[in-house]
Amino acid sequence: MGVECRYEVAQAAYIKLVLHALKHRTSPVGGLLVGRLPEDNASTVQIADAIPLTHSQIGLLPSLELALIQVEEHFGAEGLSVVGYYHANERYDDAELGNAAKKIGDHIFRYFPRAALLLLDNKGLEELVKGKGRDLVVQLYTRDSSKSWHQAGSDGRSQLTIKEPSANVLLLDYISSEKWQNIVDFDDHLDDISKDWLNPNLFK
Amino acid sequence: MVGAAEEAQLNRLESQVDNGGGGAWEYLCLVRKLKARRSEKVLKHGLSILNDPKARSRLGGEEWTLYEQVAIAAMDCQRLDVAKDCIATLSKKFTGSLRVGRLEAMLLEAKGAWADAEKAYARLLEDNPLDQAMHKRKVAMAKAQGNISAAVDFLNKYLEIFMADQDAWRELAEIYVSLQMYKQAAFCYEELILSQPTVPLYHLAYAEVLYTMGGLENLQAAKKYYASTINLTGGKNTRALYGVCLCSVAINQLTKGRNKEEESSELQSLAAEALLKDYKHRAPEKLPLLSTMLKNMKLIS
Repeated sequence: MGVECRYEVAQAAYIKLVLHALKHRTSPVGGLLVGRLPEDNASTVQIADAIPLTHSQIGLLPSLELALIQVEEHFGAEGLSVVGYYHANERYDDAELGNAAKKIGDHIFRYFPRAALLLLDNKGLEELVKGKGRDLVVQLYTRDSSKSWHQAGSDGRSQLTIKEPSANVLLLDYISSEKWQNIVDFDDHLDDISKDWLNPNLFK
Repeated sequence: MVGAAEEAQLNRLESQVDNGGGGAWEYLCLVRKLKARRSEKVLKHGLSILNDPKARSRLGGEEWTLYEQVAIAAMDCQRLDVAKDCIATLSKKFTGSLRVGRLEAMLLEAKGAWADAEKAYARLLEDNPLDQAMHKRKVAMAKAQGNISAAVDFLNKYLEIFMADQDAWRELAEIYVSLQMYKQAAFCYEELILSQPTVPLYHLAYAEVLYTMGGLENLQAAKKYYASTINLTGGKNTRALYGVCLCSVAINQLTKGRNKEEESSELQSLAAEALLKDYKHRAPEKLPLLSTMLKNMKLIS
């Protein structure tokens, strides 16, 4: 397992997942990551978009399965598939990747062996908002054949980059304009199907 | 828990007040009644009433309830200065009150002074061993410190005494789900259904846990509880309709090749039809996606 695993996340995906977490500050949130492994650059997984999933019961299967089916169906037409899962913990000082997130990651890993787990870095986000931080506010975890999820950066092998360098600037702008109010997740859709989990008008 | 209609009403009032249309006191009362957690808005609008002497005097005796509500909202938003002021005002008016003592202990919690808060609650509980709110604060503190097993412990002990507390059973169920302890979560929902058999939320939550546990018996039970949810909600609950579909597919996969028991094959096709109808009406752009999914599940042709 000496293959280098690089992940490039698109601004839209990155911002959506942070906004999702900010909308539901008092509960854990999770969502799917869709993307592709391009043929001409097989060392970098491109994470193109994020689909917010839930802000309540992370450990339950029905809505996860429904979302996986519908997301795969929708994005398949664009040549994208589910490549990972993102998660934000309920408590501010909880920086651990919990078991529920790992289990979902394992499930996705079965279909996409380069699956990525992104955990929101709560403290990093606070630093960013205060104007003190400049890094991406997510932590990448990848899995190898040993069945455990490793934090990227600790072994130098996996790496997360973002396509657009000004992503954090845009993120801060959205945070100050409270854009998170408009974000819709799959849970919201199940409560009211007129709400669209694709969030087509979020960035307009 | 807040139902859809109540949530809509709350949101309506909230945007009315936000846009300067008045009704702040109504909004605050509704938040209190529904026990919704909207601390930023409560803080903003509550303070605007409290800081206006005329508006405050108009409240009469309710003024003190507002101080308490704003104090708690302030703590949730980490505006400890505001919380301190409110509590000081209440303390002057109601010296030695248990309710104010509880707020003071909550303030210690908000500051992160866990040991002090625990001592404060212990003292108050000595004189008032049956105060439910304080017992629940102990659970909340354990949860906030990340000590989930302690929270589960406390909550179980609490429920041995106060076994009719629905909110506590729900909280325990949700904690068990977060720990992937699904059997235990199922037990909590069974208690809830036993005591309140006509609340659809409990049937739905139970079905979701059973489905997650998997296995033929659980899936068959899940289907029954999704069905009872559909019954209790007049067929309007999307999750229950989807749930019936998911269960049928999963059950079919498990019983392939075996003699199928008397299965009401109508239920899932009816559910599928209901979903299609609803999506056509309210989410037409998602209709093709839904149709493909249901076709692949062989629930429609």
